[in-house]
Amino acid sequence: MSNISEYVLDRTFDAPRELVWRAWTNPDLLQRWYGPGVETIIHKFNLVPGGLWLNEMKWGDKSDLSKMEFKEIVPQEKLVWHHSSTDADWNVCANPMMPDWPRVILTTVTFEDSGQKTNVKLTWVPLDATEAEIACFTGAIGHMGKGWESGYAILDEMFVEQQSARQ
Amino acid sequence: MAVDIRTNLYNFSVMEQISYTSSTVNLDAVFSALADPTRRAILSRLADGQASVNEIAAPFEMSQPAVSRHLKVLERAGLIEREVDEQRRPAKLKADTMAAAVEWLSEFEAFWGASFDRLDDVLSQMKQAETRGTKL
Repeated sequence: MSNISEYVLDRTFDAPRELVWRAWTNPDLLQRWYGPGVETIIHKFNLVPGGLWLNEMKWGDKSDLSKMEFKEIVPQEKLVWHHSSTDADWNVCANPMMPDWPRVILTTVTFEDSGQKTNVKLTWVPLDATEAEIACFTGAIGHMGKGWESGYAILDEMFVEQQSARQ
Repeated sequence: MAVDIRTNLYNFSVMEQISYTSSTVNLDAVFSALADPTRRAILSRLADGQASVNEIAAPFEMSQPAVSRHLKVLERAGLIEREVDEQRRPAKLKADTMAAAVEWLSEFEAFWGASFDRLDDVLSQMKQAETRGTKL
């Protein structure tokens, strides 16, 4: 299956590789940046092949739990893990918002020197996915950046309407 | 970053307002409904207020049955509702479904990007600590 969608994010960080690696593999540092502006709590972080990273993200009264199982660790070069949503007991479960979201996503992060800076490449690929999961993931990836800006535009229009209606 | 601000906005205000009624939303259906540019244009029209099939069809040079088919897809996805007890059956946007869908995808889209922005900050703090001779 070569036509499975991949989500790829490339970024160059202005720091030497040793520092970037430490920010990814020291849980105290990792929980300071992992997650989009939410409170992140790392409940367990065992950086060995087969070891687990149990992660909680909190915003308001809501919590989002995920479990990462490390598969490959090459210091300062590569991290590979299986990424899943879990229930409150850390059992892998379907995404409550989107039942066909892939249960397990193979995550690969590579680190490369670029002068004094470091290139980080992150890849997400559904693992052992059903056809429905692949379709769902492919659909979501495909909608990014095009359908969604217009989704925002429609919501913005609507909020303006509602606010002017209130005044 | 505009996306971060929007993500936070939707996390903290919209999602509070709709208080996770959205867990019943079929996002797969919403995604495929929104994939079509004509349907997005119809939603944009309905953001200005409810409209009948005739009114929606006018700017599109499209037959009424074609518009009706698009409305059915949008209705099944929960993005609009139709008045049943009126002759002209005007279509109306359902804001909460739209908000939930956009919120979910923007969250996913912003996830790693926003995290990487924060990683930038952590790395510069680490570099500052190293120059001071302390190690984070």
